[in-house]
Amino acid sequence: MLSVENLNVSYGHAKVLHDVSLKVSNGEMVFIAGRNGAGKTTLLKTIAGFLKPDTGSVIFEDKKINGMLPEKVAHLGIRYVFQDKRVFSNLTVKENLEIAAYPVKENIKDAIDKVIGIYPKIEKFLNMRAGSLSGGQRQILLIGRALIGKPKLLLIDEPTEGLAAGTINDILNVLVKMKGNISLVIVEQNLSVVGMLADRVYMMKEGKILKEMTEKDEITNKENLEKYL
Amino acid sequence: MINTIAYGLTIGGILYIISIGLSLTFGTMRIVNFAHGLIYTIGAYLLITTLPIFKNNFIIGALFTVLAVIPISYVIERFIIRKLYGVSIDYAIIATYAVVLIGIDLIKWIWGASPIPLSDPIGIDITLFSVTIPLYRLMIIVLSLIIFVTLTIFFKKTMIGKIVIAALEDKDAVRSLGINVDKYFSYVFIIGSCLAALGGVLYAPITSVHPYMGMMVLLISFAVVLVGGLGNIKGTFVSAFILGLVMAITGRFWGPAAETMVFIVMGIVLIFKPIEV
Repeated sequence: MLSVENLNVSYGHAKVLHDVSLKVSNGEMVFIAGRNGAGKTTLLKTIAGFLKPDTGSVIFEDKKINGMLPEKVAHLGIRYVFQDKRVFSNLTVKENLEIAAYPVKENIKDAIDKVIGIYPKIEKFLNMRAGSLSGGQRQILLIGRALIGKPKLLLIDEPTEGLAAGTINDILNVLVKMKGNISLVIVEQNLSVVGMLADRVYMMKEGKILKEMTEKDEITNKENLEKYL
Repeated sequence: MINTIAYGLTIGGILYIISIGLSLTFGTMRIVNFAHGLIYTIGAYLLITTLPIFKNNFIIGALFTVLAVIPISYVIERFIIRKLYGVSIDYAIIATYAVVLIGIDLIKWIWGASPIPLSDPIGIDITLFSVTIPLYRLMIIVLSLIIFVTLTIFFKKTMIGKIVIAALEDKDAVRSLGINVDKYFSYVFIIGSCLAALGGVLYAPITSVHPYMGMMVLLISFAVVLVGGLGNIKGTFVSAFILGLVMAITGRFWGPAAETMVFIVMGIVLIFKPIEV
């Protein structure tokens, strides 16, 4: 479904990604792990169209998409969920969903039902300002918002960052419900989460992919993952 | 004093009508648009040109003017402003200031440099609390209130408005949902330009029409926007009326300081509430 080949990305003169390659199959849940500054977010932003690579290619469903505008990438079925729980805080939860439903012409009722399907509690918050939600609820709203319009691939940046253990469980439940139904690339530093859910893991350090893991034994072994941090 | 307050509220109303477009452009595009002042001036000149054609019908002249600036503002947005998105704010200042200078020279070439007076289109005074106030000024205050309510409803209830509010907060997040934000910014720019032209139309009978009329009002409008908050519809409304009153009251006691006082108030506000760009 998605194939990233020899991607090199720079911010000005500072090279951030060095020959990064990865692939994602249909329905696969791929995790990218690594310490801060490893280039994980840069990689997601490049796939989503927010950054232009110097060289290399991003191929989605046999179509080269590097350099494409983010809104065009979104129309192909790739949605990027930013880190930092960036909801539209001045709008209500329902309005956040309306904005997501508008470009894909999805009925707002269907859109709301879809989000309720992954997180029933959100029904209570529909008319609340999104800015008043807790960190976990914001994250679920962002994931739900990105699910509107039948996307094929979700890129989620640090979904559990800064959340309490109980809230992380809510996020995990949401991710479990999505597993197998949609392709996902998730940047995550919480290796327990990675071990629990990943079908494939890429460990990144200093802008490079250090290791690709696909075997369940390798992925579920936290000590094995930590070796590459 | 009541007369001064009425004058201040009139100035506040006009400042709001001019500034709201500037505020939204500044808030959404992060572009300091000096060309906004030019559109204001063009509005006033188009009105004095078209009034004889429309048999001095001020309302039809005003409507025509507001519609006539749409293609002008579209050209400015499409070929100048759009190329400045995401570029350093200095380039926007230089590029839009260049547009103003070219525009002023064109105005002088077409209409001449001499100020052109325009009489009060209603010409009726009313007496309130034993003070006589021109009805035209009260109409401006009412119109600015109507525009404020309309814009508030527009941004709360329409999808275009909601997208703009979302983009004011997080443009990239809106783009990640598949929305071409620039298209909506163009709408905002054109709405803002129409309001700037309306401001010029409304202020023309209060002052005289001259090629540089947009420059001073633009600087005061920037003060309104900075005090009210970038892209803040309600804040801009409150700020416009407060600064309008500041101008009128200061002007009553010491005329030359009227405009300076606006910038002193702006400076004080910025000390306690720095702008977030």
